[in-house]
Amino acid sequence: MTTTVQRVLLGLALLVFAGYLLVYVNYAGALFAFPFDYDQGEGFELYDTLLFSRGEWPYRNNETYPFYASNYPPLFHVLIAPLVRLFGPQYWTGRLLGFIGTLINAALIGLAVYRAVPPPAAKGAGTREITAVLSGLAFLASNTIYHIGPLFRQHMFMVMLETLAVVLLANFERPDRPARRRELALVIAVLLAAGYTKQLAVMTAAAVFGFLFLRGPLRAVGWGLVFAALGLLIFGWIDLSTGGQWSLNAVAANVNLYIPGQARDLYIQWFKLHGPLIVMAGLLLLYEAYFDRISVYGVWFVAGVAGGLLSGKWGAGDSYFATAIAATCVMSGVFAARTLTGGWRFEANYLTRWAQKIFYRRGAEPSDKKRYPFASAVRILVPIMYLAYALAVRHISTEGPFWGAVSDLLGMPANTRYAFHDSAGWVMGYATIGHSPTAADIEAGHRIAAYYDKTDKPILSEEAGFALMAGAQVVTNPTQLKNLWENGLYDPTSLVEMIDAQEFGYVIFRAQFYPQPILDAVARAYITVEVIEMNGFEYIILAPKEDGGT
Amino acid sequence: MFDPNRSNDVKRLNRPFTKRRLGRLMLVVGVATFVGVLSIDLVDVGREGGIGPVQAIVLAGCVLVAVVGATLIPLGDRPA
Repeated sequence: MTTTVQRVLLGLALLVFAGYLLVYVNYAGALFAFPFDYDQGEGFELYDTLLFSRGEWPYRNNETYPFYASNYPPLFHVLIAPLVRLFGPQYWTGRLLGFIGTLINAALIGLAVYRAVPPPAAKGAGTREITAVLSGLAFLASNTIYHIGPLFRQHMFMVMLETLAVVLLANFERPDRPARRRELALVIAVLLAAGYTKQLAVMTAAAVFGFLFLRGPLRAVGWGLVFAALGLLIFGWIDLSTGGQWSLNAVAANVNLYIPGQARDLYIQWFKLHGPLIVMAGLLLLYEAYFDRISVYGVWFVAGVAGGLLSGKWGAGDSYFATAIAATCVMSGVFAARTLTGGWRFEANYLTRWAQKIFYRRGAEPSDKKRYPFASAVRILVPIMYLAYALAVRHISTEGPFWGAVSDLLGMPANTRYAFHDSAGWVMGYATIGHSPTAADIEAGHRIAAYYDKTDKPILSEEAGFALMAGAQVVTNPTQLKNLWENGLYDPTSLVEMIDAQEFGYVIFRAQFYPQPILDAVARAYITVEVIEMNGFEYIILAPKEDGGT
Repeated sequence: MFDPNRSNDVKRLNRPFTKRRLGRLMLVVGVATFVGVLSIDLVDVGREGGIGPVQAIVLAGCVLVAVVGATLIPLGDRPA
C-alpha cells in the first residue's frame, strides 16, 4: 500500500516538473526570438562577444571614446564568438548557450544523485532513477534558474562548470582510493574555466579545496598552489595584454556598495521558495556529519549557501543563489533516493544510543520491522516534499491561447506587471523578469533603434542592443562607469565635455545608471523628445537642446 | 638523505580529518568568528544601528558551526 501511494505521488511530481520544463522551454523560445536587451546588461555581453570575435579585448580605457570596458571574465564570450562571427551580433547565440548550460546542469545533478546512491534491492527498483530525474527537473523549476537560464548571461554557464567540477571530483575521490593526479588536474581545469567565466565561482573553488583538505590537508595545499599559480598566470597574461585594464575593470570595478537588507531578504526568499529541498539537503548534511563521511556535495552546499551573502552587493540579486540551488538539488536528491531505496546506515554512536531510548519501541528486536516506526511515513513524505516545492515555485506565462488557458485552469492569474504569474513576489535584488516579450516590444525596440538613422553623430545609449541592431558604435558601459566613479577610479571629464558640446546625436536612458556628473551634463545639454515603452521599461530619448544647453 | 621519521610526519600531516579534529576546528572557527563579528561594533565605534541583518545571519551561522563542532568531538577517530 505504502509503495503504491509512494509511486503515485512520485509520478505526480514527475508530471508537475515536466510541466515546469515546458514552461521553461516556452520562455527560452520567446527570448531567442527577441532581438533586444531583455535583461539590462545583456547587450554589453553581446558586445564583448563581438569584440572577441574580432580578436579584440573588451578591457579598455573607460576615459577615452567610446568610454567602454567590460567587467566580466572572457570564457563565456570567447565560446560564443564563433557563432557571432558566423551569424553577426545576435542575442540568441548567448541565450542558446546559457539555456543549453542549464539543461546540462540539470543532467549533471541527476547523474550526481544517481551515482551517489547504491543500486537498491529489487523492491525499490526504479526509484533511484526517478529521484535522479526529479532532482534535475527540480533545478530547472526554480524561479531563479528559470528566469536567468536563457539570458545572454555568463552566470548559469559558470554554475554548470561549477557543478561539473564537483561531480567529477565526487566520482574521482572514492572511498577505496583517492583521486589520481590527472583526475584532479581535470577538476582544477574545470574550476579555472568556471572562474574565468565569472568570478563568483570562488565559492565552489573554496568548497573543492575545503573537501580536499578534509581528505588530505597537504594534498589540498599542493593542488591549491597549482590552482592559484595557473589562475594568476592567466590573470597576468590578460592584464599585460590589456595594459592593466583587466585588473581595473574585472576586479576594482566589482567592488560595490553592500546592502545588508538585500542579502537578508534574498535569503528569506530563497528559503521560502526552496524550503522543502533545503530541509532534505540539511538533513543529509547532518547525517554525513554524524554517521557517514562528509561528501564534496555537502561541503559545496555549505559554501553555496554562504556565498548567498554576496547577494547584498549593489547590482547582485537572486542569481547569486544559483550555486546554492544546484547544490541543494543534489543533496536533497541524494536524501530522497536514500530514503526511497532504504539506503540509510546508522553507525552506532552516542546519538544512536539516545535515539534508541527515544524512538525504539520497548521490547522490539533489532530485526523487527517495528523498530523504525516512521520509515513508511518518511518514504511517502519524500514525494510530498517535492510536490510542496513545486507548489512553492509556481510560475507560468499567462499570455496566449495555450498558456492563458493553462494558467486560468490552474488558477494562476498574472500577478506581476507582465502577463506572468510568479509566486516569488518581489524583494530588492530579485529580477522582475520571466515573462515572454511581445510583438509590441519588438516593434518598440525597432523604433528606438531607428534613431540611429536620424543622425550622423554617435548616440549615447544606456543599452548596447540598439547600436548593435543599427550597426553603430556602442558608446559607454554605464554601470561600469558608475562603479568605477564611485570607487574613485574614473574621471568623467572627457565624456562630460562631449555631452556639453552636444557631440551625441541622441541620448537613450533606461535606468539612468550613470555617474552623477554625466546625468547632470545630459540634463544641461539635452531634452526629452520621446518616451518609448519596451518590455515594461520606459526608454527616454533625449535630443540636443536647441539653445545648445546654455 | 631520506629520513623515515620526517616521512612519517608528512604522512601524519596529510592524514584525512577525523570527526574529532574537524569538530575542534569548527568549534574554534565558530567561536573566533563570532567574537570577531561582534568586535566590529567595538572597533568601529562610528558605526550606527547595532547588529545589522547580515551580521545577525553570520552570527547565527557561527553558533551553528560551533555547536556542530562541539558535538562532533565525541565521535572520535572516525573519518570525517
